[in-house]
Formats: sequence, structure tokens, C-alpha cells
Amino acid sequence: MSRKEALSQFINQIHGRPVVVKLNSGVDYRGVLACLDGYMNIALDQTEEYANGQLKNKYGDAFIRGNNVLYISTQKRRV
Amino acid sequence: MAQTSGATNQSTLLPLELVDKCIGSRIHIIMKNDKEMVGTLLGFDDFVNMLLEDVTEYEREEGGGRRVTKLDQILLNGNNITMLVPGGDIPENSV
Repeated sequence: MSRKEALSQFINQIHGRPVVVKLNSGVDYRGVLACLDGYMNIALDQTEEYANGQLKNKYGDAFIRGNNVLYISTQKRRV
Repeated sequence: MAQTSGATNQSTLLPLELVDKCIGSRIHIIMKNDKEMVGTLLGFDDFVNMLLEDVTEYEREEGGGRRVTKLDQILLNGNNITMLVPGGDIPENSV
């Protein structure tokens, strides 16, 4: 039931990969995913902050509190 | 004779069983704050956080237009989901 494995597999494989994190506010954070937990708290490396598609800021390391996260998106990896 | 729970009754379908049946097929997700997503459902958990593939995101913009974003694979937070519709129809006039 409910294929939770698919989610845990996804979570396990996206460490170290470039991701886009969108917040409920509409702001995007692009960076390399350093860490992710069950609350969807996220640590990002080489973070770029985009608001309305425009680069607003850059951070070396960033922590995003999970309650703000709308989605975490990755590019497909061809294997 | 009396049916005590939906789980033992084969004729009723639990809500999340309906979602489970959608795994592998296209699904239309209507969210709070005028957002909609269409994508292929790969999986979900007890919070109805969802793993989706080949996603199109539709957002309403201030001017009355709508912004469309294509995404490969997403882990969608279940917090803002209001409704799930099996089948991946493009929302024509809803957003």
C-alpha cells in the first residue's frame, strides 16, 4: 500500500544532487542538496535565491525550515 | 451482518485506496492558493506527500494570466493539497 518506498528511495538518491526547492511564498532556491529530513527541513549548498525568476541572492550554505517547503524538484538522471 | 468498518467491506473503497490505484498514472492535484499540478504519481506517504514525475505546475498570476512550469521529478509537500483528481487533464479555466 501507498508505495512509501518510492519516496524514501527518492529521498535517499537526491543527496548531493542539484535541486530546486520552491517555498509556499513562491520563492525558489536552487542549490545542491546537502541534507533532508522527515520534516522536509533542507540544507542546501551553493544556494541561489530566485524571486519571480530573477536571481536575488546567493548563499554558501542555507537551511530551509520544512514547513515553508512546497516541493523539492530534481532533474531526472539517466541511468 | 453489521458492517463495522470500511476496511473489511470489500465494496467500499477507502479514500487513500483510490489514491493508491492512481500510482503509475496521471493525476491532477488542486492545491490551496490557486495552484494546480498535473503529473504521473510515483508514490505517496501517510501525510499524502507525493512523489510525482513529468509535472506541469499551473500558478495564477496577478494580471489574470497563469504561469506554467515543467518539472522532471518532485517531492510535493502534502500540506497544501486540497483535492486529487485521477487523470491528467490540463486545467482549462480553473486556474
